[in-house]
Amino acid sequence: MLQPYHLTVHTLTLRQLASAEQLAEVNGQPVPEVEAALEQAAADGAVRAARGNYLITPAGRELLDAMYPDAFAEIRASAAVNDAMDAFETGVNKQVLSLTTDWQTKEVGGERVPNDHGDADYDAAIVDRLGRVLDRAHAVLRPIADVDPLVDRFLDRIGTALTRAEGGERDYVSGVRVDSVHTVWFQLHEHLLRLTGRERPE
Amino acid sequence: MSATATSPAGTGYRWLVVPDDPANEPSRDLVGGKAWSLWRMRSLGMRVPPAFVVTTAACTAWFAGGARGLPEGLAEELASGIRLLERGLDRTFGGAERPLLVSVRSGAAISMPGMMDTILDLGCNDTVASALAAETGDPAFAAEVHRRFTAFYGRLVLGCTEDLDDLPDLAAVRAAIAADGAGAVPTDPWEQLRDAVAAVFASCRSRRAIAYRRHYGIPDDLGTAVTVQAMVFGNLDDDSGTGVLFTRNPVNGAREPYGDYLPHGQGEDVVSGRVTPKPLSYLAEHAPAVHAELLRAADCLDREGRDAQDIEFTVQHGELFLLQSRAAKRTARAAVRIAVALVDEGVIEPAEAIRRVTADQIRALLRPEIAPGAADAAELLSTGTAASPGVATGPAVGTPEAAQRVPGAVLVRRTTSPDDVHGMIAAAAVVTEHGGATSHAAVVSRALDTPCVVGCGDGTREALLGRIVTVDATNGRVYAGEVETSAADESADEDLCRLTAWAEQAVSLRVTESDAEAVAPVLDADGIPPEELGERLPAIPAGTRTVRGALFTTPDGVRAALDAGVEVIVAPQRLPVLLAAVAHGGDAR
Repeated sequence: MLQPYHLTVHTLTLRQLASAEQLAEVNGQPVPEVEAALEQAAADGAVRAARGNYLITPAGRELLDAMYPDAFAEIRASAAVNDAMDAFETGVNKQVLSLTTDWQTKEVGGERVPNDHGDADYDAAIVDRLGRVLDRAHAVLRPIADVDPLVDRFLDRIGTALTRAEGGERDYVSGVRVDSVHTVWFQLHEHLLRLTGRERPE
Repeated sequence: MSATATSPAGTGYRWLVVPDDPANEPSRDLVGGKAWSLWRMRSLGMRVPPAFVVTTAACTAWFAGGARGLPEGLAEELASGIRLLERGLDRTFGGAERPLLVSVRSGAAISMPGMMDTILDLGCNDTVASALAAETGDPAFAAEVHRRFTAFYGRLVLGCTEDLDDLPDLAAVRAAIAADGAGAVPTDPWEQLRDAVAAVFASCRSRRAIAYRRHYGIPDDLGTAVTVQAMVFGNLDDDSGTGVLFTRNPVNGAREPYGDYLPHGQGEDVVSGRVTPKPLSYLAEHAPAVHAELLRAADCLDREGRDAQDIEFTVQHGELFLLQSRAAKRTARAAVRIAVALVDEGVIEPAEAIRRVTADQIRALLRPEIAPGAADAAELLSTGTAASPGVATGPAVGTPEAAQRVPGAVLVRRTTSPDDVHGMIAAAAVVTEHGGATSHAAVVSRALDTPCVVGCGDGTREALLGRIVTVDATNGRVYAGEVETSAADESADEDLCRLTAWAEQAVSLRVTESDAEAVAPVLDADGIPPEELGERLPAIPAGTRTVRGALFTTPDGVRAALDAGVEVIVAPQRLPVLLAAVAHGGDAR
């Protein structure tokens, strides 16, 4: 498990150039604690401040890479975690990416064209399938969520994004500038890769 | 009909509505939007497979009774509803000869997420599957119907969490359901039907449905109707078939029917790729009367829907049944043509036409391409999968930080992770060594409308970094140096000019290509260092009257500018900005 200081530096690998509030939203720590960690990390050279936003530095990345094997030793040794991660990569993760692609583009006459969102049934079917995949993700990731408290937080944030998408806020499926389903899923994926010490398979 | 919650008048039913009388419009609140559409097609004189609806009142009563047994009398009414469908098609539910299968779907007046989608082929069991095999002479088809029904039922009614749709055969589906501890599919078709109706009711209190209603403050007691409709078969004989018709060409928008027909086949055959469909002209040659009836229906639905329609139909024993009609998918080119044509046909007003075309579609149309022949002499450095179309030239850089620092850079990565996103926002194009069209890099690039080529292979970074490269993300290629491009001109296309004029009428925002028309004070987003922006849009100081820069040509940027009261946006292409403003409500004040 990561201490609050390292957790905040780690969070910058999930959301780069972020404010303390945005980092706290991702890692669930109280904002003052995140601010204190950032101040300390800036003094240590692990992060760099840019007008209220923070970036992780190469030194910060080295610090994390040195931390992970010990901090996550138990998780990485767990067969249940390993199996869950395999299932995640080959199952729900592929499904989310392929559904997001179907959300962004449609096939018309053999070519992929931007989805004009003119067919409410098409969009609703995709959002509905994302909901089912999210339900499955809860089940698939259970062994990891049991040993890492952040996993459920990511899944809850994805659920919140999905609810907004269901309500017609289309940005909340794959928008980059908001905490959309894809934005948070991407963070979750990176978090899991770092937790388990795996390489991004794609 | 003046339907009430307890007894739809004149039908003798307490819980059912039969939407087959053109003179009696059913209440949408009682039957849901989909059943209402069925009635609408009937009232326009079209043949749809016979159906009945279990009303939302039955759903309310089911919850009031503790969500256990069906409301009193509903089981009996389901039986008489099925008798109606049996008589309509001369088939028997659960029969060992000419069996009747039905679809069961939810339908609320307001569509809501989390509710159950359709169960097809309900009423199937071993006896029925054998009867179907004998009748169609196609045992593989009967087995596929049985497999699909079992998978639908296992997931939607039994609540099996395993993925059942992709399993190869009935035995595998049954084994997966058993392994999941979800029970088994009942062999009695009546039990299947009763349980499916209850499952549709229950789905409107599913976790996602509840979360949705809580977020949007929708009352929890809103129920759903259940539509039960007979399945028709296109594979019974040579006078049967199934197909799809677009009322306008989905590629170029031309007003000419376009579609596929599969003689002696069922929709599943097309999906599984077992057979190749024929063009609609086949139907015109072999069944001219059916073809003519289909075209009349298509014309009517196009006018009635006030938009290009995508119509699914089945011919059973020479009789045409319309299954579904909805707004058709289309290319950007077709969207423009159809919107303008509908105005010329007097079907919609210009103010609506500009809402039928999106800013993204116009950007796609106006996207620059490699000039014809220009790539012939260029050195091809890498090829990969085209993930987000467009062309860009710039220096290849290897880190998101460099992409932020170097204007117009091409970001080249092994793969992308979330801490590349700020670099992808700043980059003119993105190239990755690994990943396919559904990788994170592809999804983020498409959301940003940034050209992106993925999966170029190991060594791509070494080959590109430090050079000026041209990324042709429309074709998945990367060239050395600058390759000449040609851009479409929005003022050279008559349809685009008319949309532009209509959009200008609709919004008070002015969009200009020329800096000369900017009114001070001006905010130039291109002048702000990317590091200050992060993943956000720049704050627009109060009193700003003009904004310019690439960020303010995106729908996000246009929304922010309008919300800040900006009067003028300077942009190289005007129509995408105008349409984004229209979509946002159109008025800067």
